[in-house]
Order: sequence, then structure tokens, then C-alpha cells
Amino acid sequence: MPISYFQGAMLGLLQGVSELFPVSSLGHSVILPKLVGWNIHQKDPYFLTFLVATHLATAIVLLGFFWRDWVRIVKGLGRSLRDREIAPGDTDAKLGWLLVVGTIPAGILGLTLQDQLRNIFASPQYASIFLALNGAVLFGAELLRRRAPATDADDDARIARTVGWRDSVLVGAAQAIALIPGFSRSGASMGGGLLVGLSHKDAARFAFLLATPIIGAAAVLKVPELAGSQGNGVRGPAALGALCSAVTAYLAIRFLMRYFETRTLTPFAVYCAAAGTAAAIYFAVS
Amino acid sequence: MDRRRLLVALAIVLGIVLIAVAAVYWAEPARSLPSFFPGHQAGSSHHHVKHGIASFLVGLACFAFAWFNTGPKKSRPTS
Repeated sequence: MPISYFQGAMLGLLQGVSELFPVSSLGHSVILPKLVGWNIHQKDPYFLTFLVATHLATAIVLLGFFWRDWVRIVKGLGRSLRDREIAPGDTDAKLGWLLVVGTIPAGILGLTLQDQLRNIFASPQYASIFLALNGAVLFGAELLRRRAPATDADDDARIARTVGWRDSVLVGAAQAIALIPGFSRSGASMGGGLLVGLSHKDAARFAFLLATPIIGAAAVLKVPELAGSQGNGVRGPAALGALCSAVTAYLAIRFLMRYFETRTLTPFAVYCAAAGTAAAIYFAVS
Repeated sequence: MDRRRLLVALAIVLGIVLIAVAAVYWAEPARSLPSFFPGHQAGSSHHHVKHGIASFLVGLACFAFAWFNTGPKKSRPTS
């Protein structure tokens, strides 16, 4: 069996946390097996199939967590299409179209660059260096962020008012950096949100909403591989990994939504810089 | 033709082109795609389904842009 049940559970637990924490899930899933000496090759089809299952679980958890918001957003999209305009006070419609506009560049860049970037950079050595650089990106976002004005409007109203169309394209495109193992999708989109003037809490909320269709679509499109011959031998560990991933993703999102009400990206930046540097040195000398 | 009408016309044409491109991606294997298409690969029988989906969705986005820009002018806050 290419991945044991124990390995599947461990990687699933790690995936659920690191997909939503701004610390690069792909980077961790590339670095960890090498660090603990597991004979798992990240470019092998069975490992990619395993990742599909854990990503699908994370996307379902994200969708479930924000289900009521998504219902409102989809209704807002429908309302705007019916009226052929985004009414000035229609927060749900504006947020929905911001998410559409932000998802397009991320989707296009993902489709066109994913295979090339992963083939080049999916090694533990590269991933550890990029993880350290991810720390620098998070630091940079904190240093350069615009101060969000304190208002008592609801979360989505603040996001819809603060984020412009061009901002949404830039934040969405920033997610593409996560195609390189070591850089974090949520870190890039949260950092982008801070740069365009969102608070930490709103940047996290926008990042999670933006991540849901991308993670979900990427996983759903690869589900046939899990069901086909590539899934042979990994379906059991993948199912366990997906379950573990779902549990930790749920706990992670609950934690992060409270955490970012008062805290910043700095601790994650410190962790990425330290862990990436330590892993890079370890791989260089071992 | 004013700038807005020109943009709408361009969006409609681009939308039609992108949906046609999506159909080509779905119908033809990588070896039969025109050489200037991303994903063209000589000798490959792989169908680039995801490229087709992306092209289709961007085409729909172009139509949505045209739809909004040809609607009646009415800007009143709803709440």
C-alpha cells in the first residue's frame, strides 16, 4: 500500500489545519514526509489522488461553515442578474460578483501553471525555502497594510464597500502563488486583503469565501481519478485522511475566525520563517 | 459607437469565441488542438476538460458583463 492508514491520518490532520492557516498545506505535505523519513513521492499519481480527497473534505467543510452566507450570496447574484444591475445597497450581490471576479484569475493561472510549477518545485528543499519566503510575504503584508477604518457595519458590508473590482482581481490572482509548494493560498489572499484596506477579520473571511470555489472545483474535477485506477490502493487511507482533514479544517476555521478578530498574521510569519529555514538547513546538511 | 457600446460588443464577441474554444477543448484531444492553443501536445490523446471549463466560465463572465452594461439605468439603494 503506497500510503498507510497511519500516514493517511497524519497527513489528513495536517492538511486540514495547514490549508486554512496561512502556512501552506502543500508545502507541509511535501516537507513532512521527507522529514520523518516516509517513502512518499509527491509527484506520484497516488499521492495527488490522496490530496484530492483531503482537499474535497476541506472544501465541503468551508462550504458548510459559510453555508448561510453562500445562500445569501447566490441569491444576491441572482437578484443582480434579474435586475441587470448591482444595486448600491445590495451587499450580497456586490460580494458575490467580487468573488466571481477574484476567482477568474486564480482559476486561469491555476489551470495554466499548476502542472509546470509543481513539476519544477515539488521537492522538500524548494518547499522549505519557499515556506521561509512565505513568512517574509506575511511579514510584508503586515508592514504594508492599510489601517482598516473602525465601523460597526456588518462584515460583508465592510468587505463590499472596501474591496473594489481591481482589488478583487489582484487578491484572487495572488492566490496563484500557492501553486508553488511553500507559499500559502490563504496567506496570499489574506495579505492581499490587508493591502487593500480590510481588517484582519474581514481579510480572513474574504480569503475563505474566495478559497471555497477554487479548492472545491479543483478537487471535484479530480474526483474521477480517485474513483478510477489511480485510486487503487489509496482509497482507504484517502477516506481516513479526508475525515481527519474535515475535522481539523472545521476546528481551524472556527479558531481563525475568532483569532483574527484581535490578532495579526505575525505569529504565522514567524513560524513559516523559522520552520522553513530550519527545514532548509536540515535538508542541506543531511 | 460610444465606448460603452464598443465594450459590450467586444464582450459579446469574446464570450462567443471563448465558448467556441471551450467546445474545441472538450471535443478534440490535445494532439488535434490548434498549435496556438495552450495545452496543444503532439501525439497526446488527452482531453483538456479543465481548460474547456475555464474557457466556458470566462465566456459566461463576458456575457454577464455585457448583460449588466445593457440593462436599464436605475440606481436606488435597496436598504
